[in-house]
Amino acid sequence: MKTLGIYIHIPFCISKCAYCDFYSLADCNRTEEYIEALKTQIKSFKKRAAGYTVDTIYFGGGTPSCIQPEYISDLLSTVRKTFKVHPKAEITLEANPGTLDSNKLSIYRSAGVNRLSIGLQSANNAELKMLSRIHTWEEFESTFVLARFEGFDNINVDIMYALPQQSRTHLAETVNAVMNLSPDHISFYGLKIEQNTPFGNNPEIAKRLPDEESQYKMYMESAKRFEDGGYMQYEISNFAKKGKKCRHNIKYWRCENYLGFGVAAASLFEGELFSYAKNIDAFIDDPKSPALVESTQKLSEKDLATQYIMLGMRLTSGVDRTEYFRRFGRDLDADYYKKLKPFIEKRLAEKTVGGYRLTRRGMLVSNYILSDILEF
Amino acid sequence: MAEQKNIRNFSIIAHIDHGKSTLADRLLEMTDSVSSREMEEQLLDNMDIERERGITIKARAVKMSYKASDGQTYEYNLIDTPGHVDFNYEVSRSLAACEGALLVVDATQGIEAQTLANTYLALENDLEIIPVINKIDLASADIDGSRKEIEDIIGIPAEGCPAVSAKTGQNVKDVLEKIATDIPAPSGDPDAPLKCLIFDSYYDSYRGVVVYVRVADGKVRAGTKIKMMNTGASFEVVEVGYMSAFGLVAAKELSAGEVGYITASIKNVAETRVGDTVTEESRPTPAAFEGFKKAQPMVYAGIYPADGAKYPDLKDALLKLQLNDAALMFEPETSIALGFGFRCGFLGLLHMEIIEERLEREFNLDLVTTAPSVIYKVKLKNGEEQYIDNPAVYPSPDDICEAYEPIVKASIIVPSEYVGGIMELCKDRRGTFIDMKYLDSVRVELHYTLPLNEIIYDFFDALKSRSKGYASLDYELNGYELSKLVKLDILLNMEVVDALSFIVHADKAYSRGRKIVEALKENIPRQLFEVPVQAAIGGRVIARETVKAMRKDVLAKCYGGDITRKKKLLEKQKEGKKRMRKLGSVEVPPETFMAVLKLGDDN
Repeated sequence: MKTLGIYIHIPFCISKCAYCDFYSLADCNRTEEYIEALKTQIKSFKKRAAGYTVDTIYFGGGTPSCIQPEYISDLLSTVRKTFKVHPKAEITLEANPGTLDSNKLSIYRSAGVNRLSIGLQSANNAELKMLSRIHTWEEFESTFVLARFEGFDNINVDIMYALPQQSRTHLAETVNAVMNLSPDHISFYGLKIEQNTPFGNNPEIAKRLPDEESQYKMYMESAKRFEDGGYMQYEISNFAKKGKKCRHNIKYWRCENYLGFGVAAASLFEGELFSYAKNIDAFIDDPKSPALVESTQKLSEKDLATQYIMLGMRLTSGVDRTEYFRRFGRDLDADYYKKLKPFIEKRLAEKTVGGYRLTRRGMLVSNYILSDILEF
Repeated sequence: MAEQKNIRNFSIIAHIDHGKSTLADRLLEMTDSVSSREMEEQLLDNMDIERERGITIKARAVKMSYKASDGQTYEYNLIDTPGHVDFNYEVSRSLAACEGALLVVDATQGIEAQTLANTYLALENDLEIIPVINKIDLASADIDGSRKEIEDIIGIPAEGCPAVSAKTGQNVKDVLEKIATDIPAPSGDPDAPLKCLIFDSYYDSYRGVVVYVRVADGKVRAGTKIKMMNTGASFEVVEVGYMSAFGLVAAKELSAGEVGYITASIKNVAETRVGDTVTEESRPTPAAFEGFKKAQPMVYAGIYPADGAKYPDLKDALLKLQLNDAALMFEPETSIALGFGFRCGFLGLLHMEIIEERLEREFNLDLVTTAPSVIYKVKLKNGEEQYIDNPAVYPSPDDICEAYEPIVKASIIVPSEYVGGIMELCKDRRGTFIDMKYLDSVRVELHYTLPLNEIIYDFFDALKSRSKGYASLDYELNGYELSKLVKLDILLNMEVVDALSFIVHADKAYSRGRKIVEALKENIPRQLFEVPVQAAIGGRVIARETVKAMRKDVLAKCYGGDITRKKKLLEKQKEGKKRMRKLGSVEVPPETFMAVLKLGDDN
């Protein structure tokens, strides 16, 4: 069975967070037109994706939960009409506390959404304020309980660490508070200061970040806490209870086919990597226009093999020699053993039964290692 | 060709920025040698680097024709001189080719050490000096003060000397007249055996070396068999001529008193050394010009290609530069840290910077340069004497009986309010005070002897920063002195990096070692492991810092849209690493080797 993941970008938010550099707008005026445009774009792929079974769908943003829930149902039904969707497909929706209520949640449920990803970031209200999040910990808590009540049995919670002036104790409090609610999945990200965001434009912010040694400890200590609480790490920033890994995201890291719809969405489809411009007006104007494609790259088998290593090394399962040979016709050991050897000696990487992977310490310096071993 | 009595050969002596090039431009314009419309900004300085630095590196010469108010037409030969202490010898040879010199003094600044030193050189060569007070168009110009200064400091009459604005052209005519009336005509014997002074030469890929000469006696023309009296090389002249503002103009012959060029299918400027005497092979002059010196490098540094594979390119580039620069010396050397490269000798730090810049710009090379070193002299216990220009091969202390370092005699002119700071600086640089004299009510000339290795790094910068830019410096080598020298080794991750070793006075070893390890710590990017950075003398560690291990270098989020971005980021990181030099297991950027130099005491 040829499978396919689908990503749908909802570029609307109630307000922009200080650190965020994703494409989103705090102005929801053109929501309706945008949804129509999305539907047109989705339908236009009918022919190209015939023969594929969609087994994951992911609504990301922006804040997909800030628009009318009927739009989500509408989009899902368009997807179902256009593609062959697996009955057990994983259907995720990113949501922010403060934008959810039981009505919305029940509409999502009946539309088929079976996984929620809730952006919390911190359990500390002062930190939330600093990040210019629109909610408090208490609001998150009630949203979470409500979601459980509405029957969501697969919920992810985002936590961010290495925040300005964050101490390891603060972080431990957030980690514990989240684990007490027992979500099914935890995404654990280090804050990255991006250019052209309020954080990026304020030189003071970078100065207040915890030093590298503290960040290292934050990561190692939290990962340990997650694991002790039954969350297994499966990717650099992702931890899940048994059977609750995010299947959609794994597609990215395994270089499997996915189609992205909407402004700024990216796709990898049949060896072609392409993404759309960050321009909502142009998108609404003509969602089928080839001019929307901002960048496109036909990946050679070698490019794809390189990307497979680049992303596969993010996973705790690492890269697999059999799969590498099957997909790219290449010998994993011949390509990488010598390059990885110094890192294996430093215990930053290790040999597995099937191939190679990074150790947890190695994951934290993965840019260094990957920029060393990969040939672009 | 003009008669000898109507020829005037002269130079312009001026401090940087005092308007030498501007004055030269005006002279060219007002003698109709070049029209202002045709003129590029400053014709005499025609190398990019020169123009950017506002200094003339190599001498150039140009012929002008001037109809003076006495009704006669004169041939003026302006011989330009380099304006930096690194090129003292070249200046002296250019001056030796002249009968007179214009001494340009900035009416807003007064006389500087460099000007003074060159004026003395001109006086030694018996040149007639015409003071020219420049920049009178500026509000702060002090014409009378400048006149007085010229009389007091240099001791030549300045009453009635031209006061001009080279910028606007005001009174420049007076200068042209003065040249005719005051500078003596040459007095060579056209029938005597040929005797020419080489004051410059450069390599041209079509003609071979073009030799700039001043003919003292005799005549030279195409077909003349000539001989370089010091290098001994012989050639047959292909062409002679003179230098116009726009290039070479062939002529039938060059005769006593004239300035011009000779080409003779010469392959290398090393055979046409500045200061050498050109004579006729079959009828040599009995007396060559005195004062010939083979250019002696004072400063040595290792130059390596950042990319080891570019070694042959670097070699070609150096060979090409050497065609034009007899002062540039180089020989292959290998470094454990840097691989294959060259040990290069330079006249001074400016010369070194110019060569580096030309290698990078004109030949597109990425270089790693080691800290410059002077030449030390060591007497070994076995009685042998060695000159060491590379710290990496400095003998073991057990073998050394005595060590000597080169000393310079320095003259520093500085406004009196800064004297204290400058004296402190000289003391800190192990200088020995000789004397001090007031040039006028505000300016002081200080004389010091200083070890050369104390002034090649950043002395000039320190001088400038301690005098708000007013101090000027001139120096000349003054032999060797016994010294307590030690070799300081730098260890990265417990391994000696040969390219970072240097020689230092024992009393300064500790503080210098300390600073270097601190600078290295800042410069070396974190590795995946902790890297100790140590300074050691012999086996004894005198300073240590640690470059902490890299703990976190990761892109936390990486989903669909981020993949291209992540790839670009890693590609960029990889590019950055390619520039790195691997020293043992430690990767360092090429700047590291120079960073050791930038340890200004004043920062």
